Amino acid sequence: MSKQNTHGKTYKFGMAIDLDKCTGCGSCMVACMSENNVPFKKDESDKKDSITWMRVYKLTNGKSFPETEICYLPRPCMQCGGKGDQGHSPCVSVCPAVATDYGHDTGIVSQIPVRCFGCRYCMAACPYHARYFNWWDPKWPGEMEKYLNPDVSPRMRGVVEKCSFCYHRYQAARDKAYYEHREEIQEQEYQTACTQACPAGAIAFGDLHNPSHKVHQLVKPDPHHSGKPRNPKAFRLLERLGTNPKVYYISEKEWVRKAGDNYLEGEWKKMNKKHG
Amino acid sequence: MSELDEKTENGSVESAGKGGTEEKKAKDNSGLGLGVIFFLVAFVVVFLSGWLLFPKLLYSEKEQPFNFNHDLHVYEMGSCEACHFLREDGSFSGIPDLYSCTQCHYEEPMGMTEDEKIFCEEYVAKGKEVPWLVYSKQPDNVFFSHAAHTEGAGMECKTCHGSIGQSKELPTYEENRLTGYSRDIWGDNIWGIDKNSRDSMKMDDCAECHEEETGSKGACFQCHK
Amino acid sequence: MKVDRRCFLGLGLGAVAGAVVSPPGMKLTDDLAIWTQNWPWTPVPKDGKVTYEQTTCSLCKGNCGLSVRKVGGRPVHISGQEGHPVNNGGACLHGISGLQYLYGLTRINAPLKKNGETFEEISWKEAVSHVADKLNAMRENGKAEKIACITGKERGSIPELFKRFMKAYGSPHYYSMPDMNTTWRTVAEKMHGENADIGFDLENATHILSFGSGLVEGWGSPVHNFRVNAQRKDKGVKLVQVEPRLSNTAASADRWIPAIAGSEADLALSMCSVIMKEKLYDSSYLVSYDTGFSAFSGLVTTGYAPEKMESKTGVAASEIKTLAREFAGAGRPLAIAGKGRGDTAGDLTEFAAVHALNCLVGNINAKGGVRLNASPDYLKFPEMKLDAVAEKGAEKAPEKSIDALMRKISGTGQSPVQALLMQDANIAYTMHDTDRVKQALKKVPFKISFSSFMDETAKLADIILPSPTFLERYEDLPSDASMSRQVVGLAVPVQKPVKNSMNPGDAVIRIAKAMKSGVSENFPWKKYEDCLESVTGKLWDPLSDKGYAVISEKKPRKTVSADLSFFSVNKGKRPEAAGDRTEYPMMLVPYDNMRITSSEVTVSPFAVKTVSDEEIKGKESFVQVNPETARKIGVSRGDKVKITTPAGSAAVRIDLFEGVMPGLIGMPKGLGHTTDNPYVAGKGVNTNQLISVSIDPNTGQDAAFGINAKISRV
Repeated sequence: MSKQNTHGKTYKFGMAIDLDKCTGCGSCMVACMSENNVPFKKDESDKKDSITWMRVYKLTNGKSFPETEICYLPRPCMQCGGKGDQGHSPCVSVCPAVATDYGHDTGIVSQIPVRCFGCRYCMAACPYHARYFNWWDPKWPGEMEKYLNPDVSPRMRGVVEKCSFCYHRYQAARDKAYYEHREEIQEQEYQTACTQACPAGAIAFGDLHNPSHKVHQLVKPDPHHSGKPRNPKAFRLLERLGTNPKVYYISEKEWVRKAGDNYLEGEWKKMNKKHG
Repeated sequence: MSELDEKTENGSVESAGKGGTEEKKAKDNSGLGLGVIFFLVAFVVVFLSGWLLFPKLLYSEKEQPFNFNHDLHVYEMGSCEACHFLREDGSFSGIPDLYSCTQCHYEEPMGMTEDEKIFCEEYVAKGKEVPWLVYSKQPDNVFFSHAAHTEGAGMECKTCHGSIGQSKELPTYEENRLTGYSRDIWGDNIWGIDKNSRDSMKMDDCAECHEEETGSKGACFQCHK
Repeated sequence: MKVDRRCFLGLGLGAVAGAVVSPPGMKLTDDLAIWTQNWPWTPVPKDGKVTYEQTTCSLCKGNCGLSVRKVGGRPVHISGQEGHPVNNGGACLHGISGLQYLYGLTRINAPLKKNGETFEEISWKEAVSHVADKLNAMRENGKAEKIACITGKERGSIPELFKRFMKAYGSPHYYSMPDMNTTWRTVAEKMHGENADIGFDLENATHILSFGSGLVEGWGSPVHNFRVNAQRKDKGVKLVQVEPRLSNTAASADRWIPAIAGSEADLALSMCSVIMKEKLYDSSYLVSYDTGFSAFSGLVTTGYAPEKMESKTGVAASEIKTLAREFAGAGRPLAIAGKGRGDTAGDLTEFAAVHALNCLVGNINAKGGVRLNASPDYLKFPEMKLDAVAEKGAEKAPEKSIDALMRKISGTGQSPVQALLMQDANIAYTMHDTDRVKQALKKVPFKISFSSFMDETAKLADIILPSPTFLERYEDLPSDASMSRQVVGLAVPVQKPVKNSMNPGDAVIRIAKAMKSGVSENFPWKKYEDCLESVTGKLWDPLSDKGYAVISEKKPRKTVSADLSFFSVNKGKRPEAAGDRTEYPMMLVPYDNMRITSSEVTVSPFAVKTVSDEEIKGKESFVQVNPETARKIGVSRGDKVKITTPAGSAAVRIDLFEGVMPGLIGMPKGLGHTTDNPYVAGKGVNTNQLISVSIDPNTGQDAAFGINAKISRV
């Protein structure tokens, strides 16, 4: 990994999503689309080519009526840090064009669409299906180009895109901090569009290094174990893959936590004893 | 039977061979000479057109809507920041809009210049924004923070923008026919060799300075969106 | 000297060497790369100064405060307004999609007049005088009662202006679209003898019992209730959801009670019987105020004992008892009704039965209970001067409901309605028995639409006077009546109108002014903004300053009498789901999904994108059945089937969902639009065309929630 300029203060931005509060309403998805100039097509029902940086999945406990339960799971980019947060994210490691890169000052995995040449290795490498390919040139019908956000560059056909934790909002917060000659940005100054939009307040976003931030208090990341949550109700998706994601989920329901990874028979029980 | 065999049989291999080679050599020399001349001519033509004609072809010269005297305005207003300022949210205001200009320029010109007359008649009176051609305009995927450079790193405007503030006339805007961007981004020197750090503003130029000043080129997201 | 091959070689090599040491090669390669990264057709959004403007959303009755981020004066993003009493920072996906409505593909560019099968653009002057002339002629020919008006909302100065216009004109036929609050108001009238709104103090309740109310599906004020639901989890407030299908609310609830569809009233009364029998009621409250108490007690303890209700409700007697005990034993229990989003009128008996639970635990006007709020009266319109024609009209009564009006129109002979004004109402999509509504509309010779969009109803209109969207106009917006605290929001234009549109308030004022005397003098305002400022009176300052005003902060009266004799009087009078059970053995229950609008507002492209591929796939939509049901009727996931009800039939695909009660068919509402917007229309089936109107004999309103149906393979 190349050394990177950190320009002073470093952060490790992360997200904690309370799945018990999430109602699957879809506000986060649309807030993200609107903020990040995500286009839309006439038919978006083929979810494989439907670009949704933030996508809400529906989980069921698989039990029959009336024991059935459902849970919604919003999935942004996990901003994997890899082992020891060294930036060996699954996607970054395979990109032949350095179009995606790990920001050591923020912990955010960047995606520079214009640099991408569309090989889609990263999509194959991403275990979370968080990356999307532009099969078509995006079109904003009618006068809809007028609502595009200048802070996020619209993409073109043939490139991959994904959630950036609304990096441009971080940039804006930093600009303001520079203007006011402050070193550090405040928790509330940098919040992603999905966090801001969630009507249930199910998403918390902030610096995982900063114990005063809500996200830190919710998950209590363990710095000695690659940020594993010390809150027993918190978990990460495919934890044992070692991708070291920065998105945590919280649920009181055991079946939901169990759905966060694939377990062999008996494995879940053993694991839970260990980490209780 | 081969040719050599035939010649040996005739008993005049040596002489025949000698005379033939000399003749050929003479011929060769003259051919090589001409070839060198052709080489040189082609080299010079391509080389010179590459250096002199190509830039003329690559860039189309565009005139600004009317001339703007920076020197005069800096004198009147006091500083660059009077018009090109950081907003309270830390974003950069860029080139002032018509509204800002009309804080001083009403419909009647204040001075005597032809340019101000054009400005007042064509833009102020009609309420039309001036379509300035921006020398330092970067592609859409570039995020550039003025605040980080002027406030964070304490740099001066002229480090990157040169002495535009003392200019009385706007330079001709040269637009790259292929990319649509200003020549000032690549640099006046067509080979990309800069005398000053401000001479060109491509990614490598940014990275060079960042490496010097901060020890690393920086992550992609630092400057891209 | 001869020019030979070598010379050409020299020439070539020279050229190559020259090119190598001159810039074009490298420069062109570089420029080419830049060129391919900046296609001219990829838009470059214009940058500028960032500003924020506040307004109020009117896409539904929730009335959330919105904050619109503008860049260089151009709106680019919508989010919830921090600190707003309704939504405090949150926003739903439809509000966030607001800019897709502003620049919507079916926006109407200018006033339109039907010419044969197509519309032609006309000027506002022509449009207003055309409408005024027609209405004048009708009025002069003694046909004043033959015009009708339907507005989507009931409250606010714009509906009031329409109401006023109808009154001045001399027609009693003013209607607004009914919803659950219509039924709740009838409950207040029948059980408390009060003309009041019923609001629910969900924030302060400690136990919420919901009879199918989709707290997180858009019930009441949607974002407000999302917040209530989230806070409930923090505070440990229990939510019990009674519903035959595992909705998102049921999934979010602490307990899901899958009662048989339509048995909610029976379950509620059965719970009442437990409360009565075990004397769990609030005796201090009941002894002093309730009338009909002993009759009610007798009625429920004999007729609705849990054991008797087991088979009818599908809930075990022991469970009914537990539910009742938990409810009555909770600190501040609250029972609510109004299925799904509550955007249609409900069955009065069901609402009353649920409300009886509230009466028994004595939570009326108590903290965390039911609030009887006087209807908001912040609008002070000047006294009207009625002429003889208007006086005559005022004496007549309107039909009992819009459905009754539609039935009259579609009856034999000439339509009793000769002109119909429709504002903020897309009845050709939202009303049950949609095809019959469309037929009825075709019988009305002069239909005036005030829609912003070319929706299903506007398409049938004869003249369209397009309105600006909520982002381009002024309007006062009182919050949904189901909120305990009543808030009036103000929509202010955050963008100059992008189309040649006119505020419907202005349109009515201008039409009225163009009318002959009798009507015109009742509209003294120059324009709608003047009217708004004057009729809101003292409220205008806070409204225009803050963008909202809380109007019911005063403490409610603690002493309210409750009359439980309703059930003895109205025993057995219930609306029934249409269709014979032997021919239609299953029951179709349309369900609400927060991601799809089902009101007069068509869903946005952004919102459609969030809809699951288990609900829409290409042009088809799905119905949910239990795997057990699917086995019984021999269908499997993805199968194409025909669903038939007494109202009609449609082709759909099968989705298997364990959370649906066997025998039930769940079907998403809000699909099957037929507008000319390929991004949102032509996807799936509109459930309303499959549901027959089912009139509640107690209210005269359509209270259909589902219909008997069958599924056959195709």
